[in-house]
Amino acid sequence: MNRLRTWFLAPAATVTVVLFLIPLTVILGYSAMTRGAYFGLGPPWTLANYARVFDPLYGAVLWRSFVLSAVSTALCLTLGLPLALFISRSGKRRNLYLNLVMLPFWTSFLVRIYAWIFLLRDTGLVNAFLQKLGVIHDPLPMLYNDGAVILGLVYGYLPFMVLPLYATLERLDPFLIEAAADLGARPATAFWKVTLPLCAPGIRAGAVLVFIPCLGAFLVPDLLGGGKSIMIGNVVQNQFTTARDWPFGAALSLVLMALVMLALLAALGRRSEDLL
Amino acid sequence: MRRRLFLMGVAGAAGCSRARERRLYVYNWSFYIAKETVPRFERETGVEVRYRTFESAEEMLAKVSAGNSGWDIVIPSNAFVAPMREQGLLAPLDHARLPNLGNLEDRFRDPAWDPGLGYSIPYMYGATGILYNRSVRPEPRGWADFWQDRYGRRVTMMDDPSEVFAAALKRAGHSVNSDAAGEIDEAKRDLIAAKPLLRAFISADVRDQVVAGDVLMAQIWAQMGRLAVNERRDLGFAYPAEGFALYCDNVVILRESREPELAHRFLDYLLRPDVSAEIAQAVTTATPNAAARRLLPVEAREDPILYPPPDVAARGEWYRSLPAAGQRLRDRAWTEIKSS
Amino acid sequence: MLAVYAAAVYAFLHVPMLVLAVFSFNASRYSVWTGFSLEWYRATFRDGELGQAAWNSLVIALASMLFSTALGTGCAYGLWKRGSRWISGSMYLSLITPEIVTGISLLAFYQWLFRYANFHLGMHTVILAHIAFSIAYVVVVVLARLRTFDPALEEAALDLGATELEAFWRVTLPAILPGVAAAALLAFTVSIDDYVITSLVAGVDSETLPMVIYAMARRGVSPVVNAISTLIVVGLGGLILASERLREA
Repeated sequence: MNRLRTWFLAPAATVTVVLFLIPLTVILGYSAMTRGAYFGLGPPWTLANYARVFDPLYGAVLWRSFVLSAVSTALCLTLGLPLALFISRSGKRRNLYLNLVMLPFWTSFLVRIYAWIFLLRDTGLVNAFLQKLGVIHDPLPMLYNDGAVILGLVYGYLPFMVLPLYATLERLDPFLIEAAADLGARPATAFWKVTLPLCAPGIRAGAVLVFIPCLGAFLVPDLLGGGKSIMIGNVVQNQFTTARDWPFGAALSLVLMALVMLALLAALGRRSEDLL
Repeated sequence: MRRRLFLMGVAGAAGCSRARERRLYVYNWSFYIAKETVPRFERETGVEVRYRTFESAEEMLAKVSAGNSGWDIVIPSNAFVAPMREQGLLAPLDHARLPNLGNLEDRFRDPAWDPGLGYSIPYMYGATGILYNRSVRPEPRGWADFWQDRYGRRVTMMDDPSEVFAAALKRAGHSVNSDAAGEIDEAKRDLIAAKPLLRAFISADVRDQVVAGDVLMAQIWAQMGRLAVNERRDLGFAYPAEGFALYCDNVVILRESREPELAHRFLDYLLRPDVSAEIAQAVTTATPNAAARRLLPVEAREDPILYPPPDVAARGEWYRSLPAAGQRLRDRAWTEIKSS
Repeated sequence: MLAVYAAAVYAFLHVPMLVLAVFSFNASRYSVWTGFSLEWYRATFRDGELGQAAWNSLVIALASMLFSTALGTGCAYGLWKRGSRWISGSMYLSLITPEIVTGISLLAFYQWLFRYANFHLGMHTVILAHIAFSIAYVVVVVLARLRTFDPALEEAALDLGATELEAFWRVTLPAILPGVAAAALLAFTVSIDDYVITSLVAGVDSETLPMVIYAMARRGVSPVVNAISTLIVVGLGGLILASERLREA
């Protein structure tokens, strides 16, 4: 039993150690170095970068990012769960419908964001349509605000919610629902009492796969938020680009990662034994 | 291309005793060359050029700063030439191998960022100004107009701290390269005050929204301004009264290059009037090459957007790379502006 | 009711694609409709670099999908048998690492390796990077699926004399296959869409489609981007429909 388990775990573990954990120690090293005069970094070793992380300014940005990500995750679940349910109940067409969800995501992320700009801006299609109908006179300001950021995040990460939900729902026995109905449960009750608890692992996985990348997002707040209110992903990204402050970027990322990890452990509570 | 590589591979495998195939690896900004530039060089010299592009200076620096990137030639902007030289990344230029060097305008023969052109040759240059819709009255004249509440928030600045600080600093009468704490703090407060009047921070891609009519006034590069004005005649481009930032991209040979002789040939080729003129035309930008500029059709040669008259050009100030402390001050101020 | 809701979500997902498709036929370079034109499609097909980039993207995404699905499924199965705090912790860590950090650390690691071996950045470095960051996604999805799988089924197979490997291969794997397929789809998607990490570990011969598109979009507008996206959606969409027809027939 254990030998087989080792053989199953070893390849992925090896790849992760060599191509992720070992390189990550480089970042650990960077975080304790001093930035170079113009770019680059080197000795002397210092903890000053960590001291700078605990600046209330970054705390405020982190809180904002947390709220936006949480709202986006909740919306992804609201949109994704019924969709996953629909797909899992479509019999032979399941694969077709699942692929249709993924189809837009095989084009570039950036292009999809630009498509939303075409739609939402003042002279965009939505405003033009509403004006033509006479519903509005002046264009609605739909772009470059928090709503647009949330929309971009939901659009960008919805499949990350749908796929794990589908993976658990697909397995769900329709007879269970029928049984619940036979026992007199209304469809809504059957959903809350039977379906939802059974796909809890999928909801957990989906929430993790959506929430985490939302927290690190930087293109959506830049392009759909107009760069007017940033998320923590932008701050991290900036340190490695325009600010050219790799040591601070490294320290900031590591503190951020530690916080997210702790939050996950807290959220999973007693399940921390099998984290995933 | 693929087939040729394959054949070369076969030739190599067949034990062809010739030493390493001579190749030149060139790393440039994206959309910053003419279609024919590289193929013509390949035809003229019989050497293969592997040409690729980068999107940000940092992407390029991250790759070449380890000193074993494989690239021979890269094209950093002027602010990075001195830092790269100080880090020992650049190979000194042998002017005897660059007979076309004399084609450059005088002011580019001895620029502040690389006196005597010991390590770099100017490639193309440009400035940052204001693109606006002529329906706006009065027409904007300077950065101060970004603090005026008369455009119905249809105004954008670039999503780049250097550019945004340059505008605020110039408006307050300081250098675009200021790293004085007091001046940066002042600029930060000014920008926080201007932010409610801005629709967004958008870089070069704002061009589309100015043409579409969403945005009435935008901070943008002269190159993008030219392209937008070409599309819509009722757009204008202004060089701000308070002064503005200038940049110049430069061709350098990396010290790790194993083909310095070939690299010099490529540099000299880029200095050829016909080649430089062709690139300037293709990417719609200003060439520092006087002989090349003379070859341009008159409307391009005397374009007031790309080549502002001397009294306007005198208000320009070249970017420099900021030392660590100033850069850090600015980044924190930038985060504060953005999250305000 | 559910179908109506699902149709609305599909509309939400596909309307932006429709907009791109419309603008891809616009005569103007700008997003103002001036007339019908096929110019951007002609430009797309003339551009050899684009074709090469699309090919590179496809090769990278398929290779990464294949390896990360195999490795990730194995890993998920192992973790399902008995949890390992270290391994699942590492998987989480890989998910929460900002992309730019993953990219920079891998680049530094490769640069250090290249000091001892005469390698340069290329397709191989991109594929390895993609496998590394895709595994965690696969593990999360497959494990979510395994959590709804009844271990008694596997035990029954063992009781009937199957070896552990046979039990996995004949009983568990077929049962979780839809989950594995969903995970593979996710791995393919995160790979084909990655820009940040790819651009940092790509070399001279490994430019991908997102890199080309990023350059075009950020430099201002190029409707070629819309044409490529439309071609991808129509091409792959056609492929999906055709394979569905074949299966039904």
